[in-house]
Amino acid sequence: MTTEKLELVCPAGTPAALRAAVDAGADTVYCGFRDATNARNFPGLNFSRDELAEGIEYAKQHGSKVLVALNTYPEAGNPEPWHQAVLDAADLGAHALIMADVGLLSYAADNRPDTRRHLSVQASASNPDAIGYYQKAFDVKRVVLPRVLTVPEIAALNKQIDVETEVFVFGGLCVMAEGRCSLSSYATGQSPNMNGVCSPASHVRYENKGNKLVSKLGDFTINQFSQSEAAGYPTLCKGRFVTEDKPSYLFEDPTSLNAAQFLPELMEAGVTALKIEGRQRGKAYIAQVVAAFRRAADAAARGETVPPLGLENITEGQRETTGAYNKRWQ
Amino acid sequence: MSHSPKGPPAPLSPILLAGLALRPVPYVLLQPIFTKAIRQMHNRHSDVFERLIALGSPRYLIDPVDLPFSFIMDTNPAHPTLDVLAEGSDETIMDIKACVRGPLLQLIELLEGRIDGDALFFSRDLVVEGDTEAVLGLRNAVDGADINVHEDLLDLFGPLSKPIDGAAQIAGKIFNRFSRDLSLISQASTAPLQRKCDAQAASIEELEETVATLKKQLRRRREKTA
Repeated sequence: MTTEKLELVCPAGTPAALRAAVDAGADTVYCGFRDATNARNFPGLNFSRDELAEGIEYAKQHGSKVLVALNTYPEAGNPEPWHQAVLDAADLGAHALIMADVGLLSYAADNRPDTRRHLSVQASASNPDAIGYYQKAFDVKRVVLPRVLTVPEIAALNKQIDVETEVFVFGGLCVMAEGRCSLSSYATGQSPNMNGVCSPASHVRYENKGNKLVSKLGDFTINQFSQSEAAGYPTLCKGRFVTEDKPSYLFEDPTSLNAAQFLPELMEAGVTALKIEGRQRGKAYIAQVVAAFRRAADAAARGETVPPLGLENITEGQRETTGAYNKRWQ
Repeated sequence: MSHSPKGPPAPLSPILLAGLALRPVPYVLLQPIFTKAIRQMHNRHSDVFERLIALGSPRYLIDPVDLPFSFIMDTNPAHPTLDVLAEGSDETIMDIKACVRGPLLQLIELLEGRIDGDALFFSRDLVVEGDTEAVLGLRNAVDGADINVHEDLLDLFGPLSKPIDGAAQIAGKIFNRFSRDLSLISQASTAPLQRKCDAQAASIEELEETVATLKKQLRRRREKTA
Protein backbone atom coordinates (compact mmCIF):
# COMPACT_ATOMS: atom_id res chain seq x y z
CA MET A 1 0.00 0.00 0.00
CA THR A 2 1.52 3.34 -1.04
CA THR A 3 0.27 6.54 0.52
CA GLU A 4 -0.78 9.26 -1.94
CA LYS A 5 -0.26 12.19 0.37
CA LEU A 6 1.31 12.27 3.80
CA GLU A 7 -0.61 13.93 6.62
CA LEU A 8 1.43 16.51 8.53
CA VAL A 9 0.89 16.23 12.30
CA CYS A 10 2.28 19.28 14.09
CA PRO A 11 2.87 20.25 17.72
CA ALA A 12 1.35 23.16 19.67
CA GLY A 13 2.12 24.10 23.27
CA THR A 14 0.06 27.30 23.29
CA PRO A 15 -2.95 28.67 21.37
CA ALA A 16 -0.56 31.01 19.52
CA ALA A 17 1.54 28.02 18.46
CA LEU A 18 -1.61 26.18 17.31
CA ARG A 19 -2.55 29.12 15.08
CA ALA A 20 1.04 29.28 13.80
CA ALA A 21 0.94 25.56 12.92
CA VAL A 22 -2.42 25.83 11.14
CA ASP A 23 -1.32 28.97 9.25
CA ALA A 24 1.91 27.23 8.18
CA GLY A 25 0.01 24.31 6.64
CA ALA A 26 -0.51 21.66 9.32
CA ASP A 27 -3.10 19.02 8.43
CA THR A 28 -3.52 18.18 12.09
CA VAL A 29 -2.24 19.76 15.29
CA TYR A 30 -1.68 17.86 18.52
CA CYS A 31 -1.75 19.48 21.94
CA GLY A 32 -2.51 18.72 25.58
CA PHE A 33 -4.27 20.03 28.67
CA ARG A 34 -2.41 22.07 31.27
CA ASP A 35 -1.78 19.15 33.67
CA ALA A 36 -0.08 15.77 34.08
CA THR A 37 -2.35 14.05 31.54
CA ASN A 38 0.13 14.77 28.75
CA ALA A 39 3.85 14.24 28.31
CA ARG A 40 4.76 17.94 27.95
CA ASN A 41 3.57 19.18 31.33
CA PHE A 42 5.90 22.21 31.45
CA PRO A 43 5.28 25.53 33.24
CA GLY A 44 3.25 28.05 31.25
CA LEU A 45 2.55 25.50 28.51
CA ASN A 46 -0.59 23.75 27.24
CA PHE A 47 -4.29 24.48 26.98
CA SER A 48 -7.18 25.27 29.27
CA ARG A 49 -10.57 23.80 28.23
CA ASP A 50 -11.63 27.17 26.78
CA GLU A 51 -8.37 27.55 24.86
CA LEU A 52 -8.77 24.06 23.41
CA ALA A 53 -12.33 24.84 22.28
CA GLU A 54 -11.08 28.03 20.55
CA GLY A 55 -8.15 26.14 19.03
CA ILE A 56 -10.41 23.41 17.62
CA GLU A 57 -12.68 26.06 16.13
CA TYR A 58 -9.72 27.91 14.56
CA ALA A 59 -8.38 24.68 13.10
CA LYS A 60 -11.81 23.72 11.71
CA GLN A 61 -12.21 27.10 10.02
CA HIS A 62 -8.89 26.53 8.24
CA GLY A 63 -9.50 22.91 7.28
CA SER A 64 -7.25 21.38 9.96
CA LYS A 65 -7.97 18.95 12.80
CA VAL A 66 -6.89 18.84 16.44
CA LEU A 67 -5.63 15.75 18.26
CA VAL A 68 -5.37 15.75 22.04
CA ALA A 69 -2.48 13.94 23.70
CA LEU A 70 -3.46 12.10 26.90
CA ASN A 71 -0.32 10.06 26.72
CA THR A 72 0.83 9.70 30.32
CA TYR A 73 -0.05 6.80 32.59
CA PRO A 74 -2.80 7.57 35.15
CA GLU A 75 -1.65 7.77 38.72
CA ALA A 76 -2.58 4.75 40.87
CA GLY A 77 -5.77 5.50 42.77
CA ASN A 78 -6.35 8.79 40.94
CA PRO A 79 -7.56 8.13 37.38
CA GLU A 80 -10.17 10.94 37.49
CA PRO A 81 -8.08 13.72 35.86
CA TRP A 82 -7.35 11.38 32.93
CA HIS A 83 -10.96 10.24 32.64
CA GLN A 84 -12.21 13.83 32.75
CA ALA A 85 -9.65 14.79 30.11
CA VAL A 86 -10.99 12.04 27.79
CA LEU A 87 -14.57 13.28 28.22
CA ASP A 88 -13.68 16.97 27.83
CA ALA A 89 -11.41 16.55 24.81
CA ALA A 90 -14.00 14.41 23.01
CA ASP A 91 -16.89 16.73 23.90
CA LEU A 92 -14.94 19.80 22.75
CA GLY A 93 -14.60 18.22 19.32
CA ALA A 94 -11.10 16.76 19.23
CA HIS A 95 -10.62 14.66 16.10
CA ALA A 96 -8.73 11.96 18.01
CA LEU A 97 -7.23 11.17 21.41
CA ILE A 98 -3.61 10.00 21.62
CA MET A 99 -3.20 7.53 24.48
CA ALA A 100 -0.78 4.88 25.74
CA ASP A 101 -2.34 3.37 28.86
CA VAL A 102 -4.58 0.34 28.28
CA GLY A 103 -6.92 1.41 31.07
CA LEU A 104 -7.38 4.85 29.58
CA LEU A 105 -7.83 3.42 26.06
CA SER A 106 -10.50 1.13 27.48
CA TYR A 107 -12.22 4.05 29.26
CA ALA A 108 -12.20 6.14 26.07
CA ALA A 109 -13.53 3.24 23.96
CA ASP A 110 -16.36 2.64 26.44
CA ASN A 111 -17.32 6.26 27.15
CA ARG A 112 -16.59 8.17 23.93
CA PRO A 113 -16.54 5.42 21.27
CA ASP A 114 -17.10 7.84 18.38
CA THR A 115 -13.87 9.76 18.98
CA ARG A 116 -10.91 8.19 17.20
CA ARG A 117 -8.23 6.59 19.32
CA HIS A 118 -4.56 6.83 18.34
CA LEU A 119 -1.89 4.77 20.09
CA SER A 120 0.84 7.03 21.48
CA VAL A 121 4.53 6.39 20.89
CA GLN A 122 4.64 6.05 24.70
CA ALA A 123 3.03 2.62 24.30
CA SER A 124 6.12 1.56 22.34
CA ALA A 125 4.15 -0.82 20.10
CA SER A 126 6.46 -1.86 17.28
CA ASN A 127 5.38 -5.33 16.14
CA PRO A 128 2.23 -6.74 14.49
CA ASP A 129 1.12 -8.68 17.57
CA ALA A 130 1.22 -5.68 19.89
CA ILE A 131 -0.45 -3.37 17.37
CA GLY A 132 -3.03 -6.04 16.52
CA TYR A 133 -3.89 -6.34 20.20
CA TYR A 134 -4.52 -2.59 20.57
CA GLN A 135 -6.63 -2.62 17.42
CA LYS A 136 -8.73 -5.60 18.50
CA ALA A 137 -9.17 -4.54 22.13
CA PHE A 138 -9.68 -0.77 21.72
CA ASP A 139 -10.37 -0.23 18.02
CA VAL A 140 -7.28 1.94 17.68
CA LYS A 141 -7.22 3.60 14.27
CA ARG A 142 -3.61 4.76 14.20
CA VAL A 143 -0.34 3.84 15.87
CA VAL A 144 2.53 6.28 16.40
CA LEU A 145 5.61 4.14 15.85
CA PRO A 146 8.61 4.23 18.22
CA ARG A 147 11.72 5.93 16.85
CA VAL A 148 13.69 2.69 16.61
CA LEU A 149 12.56 1.28 13.26
CA THR A 150 14.25 1.47 9.87
CA VAL A 151 12.28 2.32 6.75
CA PRO A 152 12.29 -1.34 5.52
CA GLU A 153 11.08 -2.44 8.97
CA ILE A 154 8.24 0.08 8.79
CA ALA A 155 7.33 -1.13 5.29
CA ALA A 156 7.28 -4.75 6.47
CA LEU A 157 5.19 -3.83 9.50
CA ASN A 158 2.63 -1.92 7.42
CA LYS A 159 2.07 -5.04 5.30
CA GLN A 160 1.11 -7.00 8.40
CA ILE A 161 -1.22 -4.56 10.17
CA ASP A 162 -4.51 -2.93 9.34
CA VAL A 163 -4.18 0.42 11.11
CA GLU A 164 -2.66 3.71 10.02
CA THR A 165 0.94 4.44 11.02
CA GLU A 166 2.40 7.77 12.03
CA VAL A 167 6.17 8.32 12.26
CA PHE A 168 8.36 11.06 13.72
CA VAL A 169 10.27 13.06 11.13
CA PHE A 170 11.66 16.03 13.03
CA GLY A 171 12.65 17.14 16.52
CA GLY A 172 13.93 15.66 19.75
CA LEU A 173 14.79 12.00 20.02
CA CYS A 174 14.49 9.46 22.82
CA VAL A 175 16.98 6.62 22.87
CA MET A 176 15.12 4.50 25.39
CA ALA A 177 12.15 2.20 24.91
CA GLU A 178 9.54 4.90 24.92
CA GLY A 179 7.13 4.95 27.83
CA ARG A 180 9.58 2.92 29.89
CA CYS A 181 12.48 5.34 30.43
CA SER A 182 13.25 5.95 34.10
CA LEU A 183 16.32 8.20 33.82
CA SER A 184 14.43 11.41 34.62
CA SER A 185 12.62 9.68 37.45
CA TYR A 186 15.93 8.42 38.85
CA ALA A 187 17.45 11.91 38.86
CA THR A 188 14.44 14.00 39.87
CA GLY A 189 11.61 11.75 41.04
CA GLN A 190 9.51 12.88 38.06
CA SER A 191 9.19 11.19 34.68
CA PRO A 192 7.52 11.83 31.33
CA ASN A 193 5.49 8.66 31.77
CA MET A 194 3.79 9.52 35.06
CA ASN A 195 4.18 13.28 35.50
CA GLY A 196 4.44 14.40 31.90
CA VAL A 197 7.91 15.90 32.33
CA CYS A 198 11.32 14.63 31.26
CA SER A 199 14.01 16.54 33.21
CA PRO A 200 11.56 18.99 34.81
CA ALA A 201 12.73 22.60 34.69
CA SER A 202 12.31 22.86 38.46
CA HIS A 203 15.27 20.46 38.81
CA VAL A 204 17.46 22.01 36.09
CA ARG A 205 20.20 24.55 36.81
CA TYR A 206 22.55 26.30 34.41
CA GLU A 207 25.70 27.76 35.90
CA ASN A 208 28.38 29.80 34.19
CA LYS A 209 31.74 28.70 35.52
CA GLY A 210 34.62 30.54 33.92
CA ASN A 211 34.31 29.95 30.21
CA LYS A 212 32.05 26.94 30.65
CA LEU A 213 28.30 26.57 30.83
CA VAL A 214 27.50 23.80 33.28
CA SER A 215 24.09 22.11 33.16
CA LYS A 216 22.80 20.20 36.17
CA LEU A 217 19.79 17.97 36.67
CA GLY A 218 18.99 17.39 40.33
CA ASP A 219 22.28 16.42 41.95
CA PHE A 220 23.87 15.35 38.68
CA THR A 221 26.14 17.42 36.47
CA ILE A 222 24.91 16.59 33.00
CA ASN A 223 27.27 18.52 30.79
CA GLN A 224 29.85 21.28 30.44
CA PHE A 225 29.85 23.32 27.28
CA SER A 226 32.85 25.40 26.25
CA GLN A 227 32.28 28.91 24.91
CA SER A 228 32.24 27.83 21.26
CA GLU A 229 30.04 24.73 21.68
CA ALA A 230 26.34 24.56 20.91
CA ALA A 231 24.30 23.59 23.97
CA GLY A 232 21.65 20.86 24.34
CA TYR A 233 18.80 19.84 26.61
CA PRO A 234 19.73 18.84 30.18
CA THR A 235 18.55 15.22 30.00
CA LEU A 236 20.58 12.33 31.40
CA CYS A 237 20.44 10.47 28.08
CA LYS A 238 22.20 13.40 26.43
CA GLY A 239 24.72 13.93 29.20
CA ARG A 240 28.46 13.86 28.61
CA PHE A 241 30.27 11.43 30.85
CA VAL A 242 33.94 10.63 31.42
CA THR A 243 35.01 7.12 30.48
CA GLU A 244 38.57 6.06 29.76
CA ASP A 245 39.66 9.59 30.67
CA LYS A 246 37.67 11.13 27.85
CA PRO A 247 34.35 12.92 28.18
CA SER A 248 31.87 11.75 25.55
CA TYR A 249 28.17 11.33 24.83
CA LEU A 250 27.67 7.71 25.87
CA PHE A 251 23.98 7.35 24.98
CA GLU A 252 23.06 10.06 22.53
CA ASP A 253 24.51 13.30 21.21
CA PRO A 254 22.52 16.52 21.58
CA THR A 255 20.97 16.43 18.13
CA SER A 256 17.57 16.60 16.41
CA LEU A 257 15.96 14.09 14.11
CA ASN A 258 15.47 15.26 10.53
CA ALA A 259 14.05 12.56 8.24
CA ALA A 260 12.96 14.84 5.40
CA GLN A 261 15.10 12.92 2.92
CA PHE A 262 13.13 9.74 3.66
CA LEU A 263 9.68 11.11 2.85
CA PRO A 264 9.41 9.36 -0.56
CA GLU A 265 10.46 6.05 1.01
CA LEU A 266 8.05 6.52 3.92
CA MET A 267 5.21 7.11 1.44
CA GLU A 268 6.25 3.98 -0.40
CA ALA A 269 6.31 2.13 2.93
CA GLY A 270 2.62 2.93 3.46
CA VAL A 271 3.01 5.48 6.26
CA THR A 272 -0.08 7.69 6.72
CA ALA A 273 1.21 10.60 8.78
CA LEU A 274 4.40 12.47 9.64
CA LYS A 275 4.86 13.76 13.16
CA ILE A 276 6.89 16.79 14.15
CA GLU A 277 8.09 16.83 17.76
CA GLY A 278 8.24 20.03 19.83
CA ARG A 279 5.23 21.08 21.87
CA GLN A 280 7.72 22.68 24.28
CA ARG A 281 9.19 24.89 21.54
CA GLY A 282 8.10 28.44 20.66
CA LYS A 283 5.73 29.47 17.89
CA ALA A 284 8.68 30.65 15.75
CA TYR A 285 10.00 27.07 15.71
CA ILE A 286 6.53 25.71 14.92
CA ALA A 287 6.00 28.15 12.03
CA GLN A 288 9.43 27.46 10.52
CA VAL A 289 9.39 23.67 10.83
CA VAL A 290 5.78 23.20 9.74
CA ALA A 291 6.21 25.42 6.67
CA ALA A 292 9.39 23.53 5.72
CA PHE A 293 7.76 20.11 6.08
CA ARG A 294 4.66 21.31 4.22
CA ARG A 295 6.95 22.06 1.25
CA ALA A 296 8.70 18.72 1.70
CA ALA A 297 5.50 16.64 1.98
CA ASP A 298 3.95 18.39 -1.02
CA ALA A 299 7.10 17.82 -3.08
CA ALA A 300 7.10 14.14 -2.12
CA ALA A 301 3.41 13.84 -3.07
CA ARG A 302 4.23 15.26 -6.52
CA GLY A 303 7.02 12.74 -6.90
CA GLU A 304 9.67 15.45 -6.75
CA THR A 305 12.92 15.48 -4.79
CA VAL A 306 12.48 16.86 -1.28
CA PRO A 307 14.08 20.34 -1.19
CA PRO A 308 16.64 21.33 1.47
CA LEU A 309 14.71 22.60 4.48
CA GLY A 310 17.28 24.91 6.14
CA LEU A 311 16.35 23.97 9.69
CA GLU A 312 19.88 23.58 11.11
CA ASN A 313 19.62 26.80 13.13
CA ILE A 314 16.83 25.50 15.33
CA THR A 315 18.04 21.96 15.96
CA GLU A 316 19.30 20.80 19.34
CA GLY A 317 23.05 21.20 19.55
CA GLN A 318 22.69 22.68 16.04
CA ARG A 319 23.10 19.16 14.64
CA GLU A 320 20.81 16.79 12.75
CA THR A 321 20.51 13.02 12.48
CA THR A 322 18.43 10.61 10.44
CA GLY A 323 18.10 8.48 13.60
CA ALA A 324 17.02 4.87 13.23
CA TYR A 325 15.68 5.36 9.70
CA ASN A 326 19.22 4.83 8.55
CA LYS A 327 20.24 2.52 11.39
CA ARG A 328 23.74 1.16 11.41
CA TRP A 329 23.58 -0.55 14.79
CA GLN A 330 21.65 -3.42 16.36
CA MET B 1 30.19 46.15 27.34
CA SER B 2 28.06 43.45 28.83
CA HIS B 3 26.41 44.54 32.06
CA SER B 4 27.63 41.25 33.43
CA PRO B 5 30.56 39.10 32.36
CA LYS B 6 28.16 36.15 32.71
CA GLY B 7 26.28 37.07 29.54
CA PRO B 8 27.10 36.29 25.91
CA PRO B 9 29.46 38.79 24.23
CA ALA B 10 27.73 41.93 22.98
CA PRO B 11 27.63 42.07 19.16
CA LEU B 12 28.94 45.15 17.36
CA SER B 13 25.65 46.84 16.53
CA PRO B 14 23.92 50.24 16.53
CA ILE B 15 22.43 49.22 19.89
CA LEU B 16 25.91 48.84 21.37
CA LEU B 17 26.90 52.29 20.08
CA ALA B 18 23.64 53.81 21.34
CA GLY B 19 24.35 52.24 24.72
CA LEU B 20 27.76 53.90 24.77
CA ALA B 21 26.12 57.24 23.98
CA LEU B 22 23.65 56.68 26.82
CA ARG B 23 26.35 56.05 29.41
CA PRO B 24 26.55 59.67 30.64
CA VAL B 25 22.74 59.89 30.98
CA PRO B 26 21.48 59.32 34.53
CA TYR B 27 19.34 56.21 34.26
CA VAL B 28 16.72 57.69 36.52
CA LEU B 29 15.77 59.88 33.54
CA LEU B 30 15.04 56.76 31.46
CA GLN B 31 12.93 55.09 34.13
CA PRO B 32 9.58 56.77 33.16
CA ILE B 33 9.84 55.28 29.64
CA PHE B 34 10.14 51.74 30.99
CA THR B 35 7.43 52.31 33.59
CA LYS B 36 5.06 53.31 30.79
CA ALA B 37 6.16 50.35 28.66
CA ILE B 38 5.45 47.76 31.38
CA ARG B 39 2.09 49.39 32.16
CA GLN B 40 1.20 49.14 28.50
CA MET B 41 2.25 45.49 28.42
CA HIS B 42 0.12 44.88 31.51
CA ASN B 43 -2.89 46.57 29.89
CA ARG B 44 -2.61 44.69 26.61
CA HIS B 45 -1.22 41.33 27.75
CA SER B 46 -2.33 40.78 31.33
CA ASP B 47 -2.47 37.03 30.62
CA VAL B 48 1.34 36.94 30.61
CA PHE B 49 1.42 37.96 34.26
CA GLU B 50 -1.54 35.75 35.16
CA ARG B 51 0.25 32.69 33.74
CA LEU B 52 3.20 33.41 36.04
CA ILE B 53 1.11 33.41 39.24
CA ALA B 54 1.51 29.62 39.45
CA LEU B 55 5.27 30.17 39.67
CA GLY B 56 4.91 32.74 42.48
CA SER B 57 5.06 35.83 40.18
CA PRO B 58 8.88 35.78 40.03
CA ARG B 59 11.23 38.76 39.76
CA TYR B 60 13.59 38.51 36.78
CA LEU B 61 16.84 40.18 35.85
CA ILE B 62 16.64 41.00 32.14
CA ASP B 63 20.11 41.91 30.90
CA PRO B 64 20.47 43.26 27.35
CA VAL B 65 24.22 42.68 27.07
CA ASP B 66 24.69 45.48 24.53
CA LEU B 67 23.28 48.15 26.85
CA PRO B 68 25.06 49.62 29.89
CA PHE B 69 22.10 48.86 32.14
CA SER B 70 19.72 45.98 32.82
CA PHE B 71 16.21 45.63 34.19
CA ILE B 72 14.49 44.09 37.15
CA MET B 73 11.07 42.89 36.06
CA ASP B 74 8.60 42.19 38.86
CA THR B 75 5.71 40.14 37.47
CA ASN B 76 3.21 40.93 40.24
CA PRO B 77 -0.07 40.51 38.28
CA ALA B 78 -1.69 43.53 39.97
CA HIS B 79 1.22 45.91 39.54
CA PRO B 80 4.13 44.69 37.41
CA THR B 81 7.24 46.88 37.32
CA LEU B 82 10.31 47.24 35.10
CA ASP B 83 13.11 49.03 36.96
CA VAL B 84 16.38 50.12 35.41
CA LEU B 85 19.38 48.66 37.19
CA ALA B 86 22.62 50.55 36.72
CA GLU B 87 25.82 48.78 35.73
CA GLY B 88 27.69 47.43 38.74
CA SER B 89 24.63 47.11 40.98
CA ASP B 90 24.62 44.18 43.35
CA GLU B 91 22.23 41.69 41.72
CA THR B 92 22.37 39.32 44.66
CA ILE B 93 20.26 41.53 46.94
CA MET B 94 17.39 42.01 44.52
CA ASP B 95 15.42 38.83 45.32
CA ILE B 96 15.78 37.76 41.70
CA LYS B 97 14.56 34.31 40.80
CA ALA B 98 16.18 34.04 37.38
CA CYS B 99 18.34 35.99 34.92
CA VAL B 100 18.01 36.17 31.14
CA ARG B 101 20.93 37.72 29.27
CA GLY B 102 21.27 38.36 25.54
CA PRO B 103 21.49 41.08 22.87
CA LEU B 104 18.57 43.55 23.04
CA LEU B 105 17.19 42.84 19.57
CA GLN B 106 17.10 39.11 20.22
CA LEU B 107 15.38 39.66 23.57
CA ILE B 108 12.72 41.71 21.76
CA GLU B 109 12.34 39.02 19.08
CA LEU B 110 11.93 36.48 21.87
CA LEU B 111 9.31 38.68 23.56
CA GLU B 112 7.38 38.83 20.30
CA GLY B 113 7.75 35.10 19.63
CA ARG B 114 9.61 35.76 16.36
CA ILE B 115 12.57 33.65 17.39
CA ASP B 116 12.74 30.29 19.15
CA GLY B 117 14.10 30.55 22.70
CA ASP B 118 15.53 27.02 22.70
CA ALA B 119 17.39 27.71 19.44
CA LEU B 120 18.86 30.91 20.94
CA PHE B 121 19.92 28.93 23.97
CA PHE B 122 21.48 26.12 21.89
CA SER B 123 23.48 28.70 19.91
CA ARG B 124 24.62 30.30 23.21
CA ASP B 125 23.26 33.71 22.17
CA LEU B 126 21.04 33.56 25.23
CA VAL B 127 22.27 32.83 28.74
CA VAL B 128 19.90 31.87 31.53
CA GLU B 129 20.68 31.49 35.21
CA GLY B 130 18.80 30.77 38.40
CA ASP B 131 15.40 29.11 38.51
CA THR B 132 15.03 27.41 35.12
CA GLU B 133 11.34 26.75 35.74
CA ALA B 134 10.75 30.52 36.12
CA VAL B 135 12.63 31.20 32.86
CA LEU B 136 10.67 28.54 31.00
CA GLY B 137 7.40 29.85 32.43
CA LEU B 138 8.22 33.38 31.25
CA ARG B 139 9.26 32.17 27.79
CA ASN B 140 6.06 30.17 27.37
CA ALA B 141 3.88 32.99 28.73
CA VAL B 142 5.25 35.64 26.34
CA ASP B 143 5.38 33.22 23.42
CA GLY B 144 1.67 32.59 23.76
CA ALA B 145 0.73 36.26 24.05
CA ASP B 146 1.10 37.66 20.51
CA ILE B 147 3.09 40.69 21.72
CA ASN B 148 4.09 43.33 19.15
CA VAL B 149 6.48 45.80 20.79
CA HIS B 150 6.23 48.31 17.93
CA GLU B 151 2.43 48.45 18.02
CA ASP B 152 2.24 48.37 21.82
CA LEU B 153 4.63 51.31 22.16
CA LEU B 154 3.01 53.34 19.36
CA ASP B 155 -0.29 53.02 21.13
CA LEU B 156 1.19 55.02 24.03
CA PHE B 157 1.40 58.14 21.87
CA GLY B 158 -2.32 58.39 21.11
CA PRO B 159 -3.00 60.84 18.24
CA LEU B 160 0.75 61.27 17.63
CA SER B 161 1.19 57.57 16.92
CA LYS B 162 0.84 57.93 13.13
CA PRO B 163 3.62 60.52 12.57
CA ILE B 164 5.79 58.71 15.11
CA ASP B 165 5.20 55.45 13.22
CA GLY B 166 6.38 57.17 10.00
CA ALA B 167 9.50 58.45 11.72
CA ALA B 168 10.10 55.01 13.24
CA GLN B 169 9.89 53.38 9.79
CA ILE B 170 12.57 55.74 8.44
CA ALA B 171 14.70 55.21 11.54
CA GLY B 172 14.26 51.45 11.10
CA LYS B 173 15.62 51.58 7.54
CA ILE B 174 18.63 53.64 8.64
CA PHE B 175 19.16 51.25 11.54
CA ASN B 176 19.12 48.21 9.25
CA ARG B 177 21.60 49.77 6.83
CA PHE B 178 23.87 50.79 9.69
CA SER B 179 23.63 47.28 11.15
CA ARG B 180 24.71 45.75 7.83
CA ASP B 181 27.65 48.18 7.57
CA LEU B 182 28.76 47.43 11.12
CA SER B 183 28.48 43.71 10.45
CA LEU B 184 30.78 44.08 7.43
CA ILE B 185 33.30 46.07 9.47
CA SER B 186 33.13 43.48 12.24
CA GLN B 187 33.72 40.59 9.83
CA ALA B 188 36.62 42.35 8.11
CA SER B 189 38.32 43.18 11.40
CA THR B 190 37.97 39.70 12.91
CA ALA B 191 38.64 37.59 9.78
CA PRO B 192 42.43 37.18 10.33
CA LEU B 193 41.84 36.33 13.98
CA GLN B 194 39.11 33.84 13.05
CA ARG B 195 41.48 32.03 10.68
CA LYS B 196 44.06 31.74 13.46
CA CYS B 197 41.41 30.48 15.91
CA ASP B 198 40.20 27.84 13.44
CA ALA B 199 43.75 26.61 12.89
CA GLN B 200 44.40 26.49 16.64
CA ALA B 201 41.13 24.64 17.27
CA ALA B 202 42.11 22.01 14.69
CA SER B 203 45.53 21.60 16.34
CA ILE B 204 44.00 21.28 19.80
CA GLU B 205 41.54 18.65 18.58
CA GLU B 206 44.42 16.67 17.05
CA LEU B 207 46.42 16.94 20.27
CA GLU B 208 43.43 15.83 22.38
CA GLU B 209 43.03 12.74 20.22
CA THR B 210 46.73 11.96 20.51
CA VAL B 211 46.64 12.36 24.31
CA ALA B 212 43.56 10.12 24.57
CA THR B 213 45.27 7.44 22.45
CA LEU B 214 48.44 7.63 24.52
CA LYS B 215 46.45 7.39 27.77
CA LYS B 216 44.65 4.32 26.45
CA GLN B 217 47.97 2.69 25.44
CA LEU B 218 49.45 3.50 28.85
CA ARG B 219 46.46 2.02 30.66
CA ARG B 220 46.62 -1.18 28.60
CA ARG B 221 50.34 -1.48 29.25
CA ARG B 222 49.74 -1.05 33.00
CA GLU B 223 46.96 -3.64 32.91
CA LYS B 224 49.27 -6.11 31.16
CA THR B 225 52.11 -5.61 33.60
CA ALA B 226 49.81 -5.72 36.67
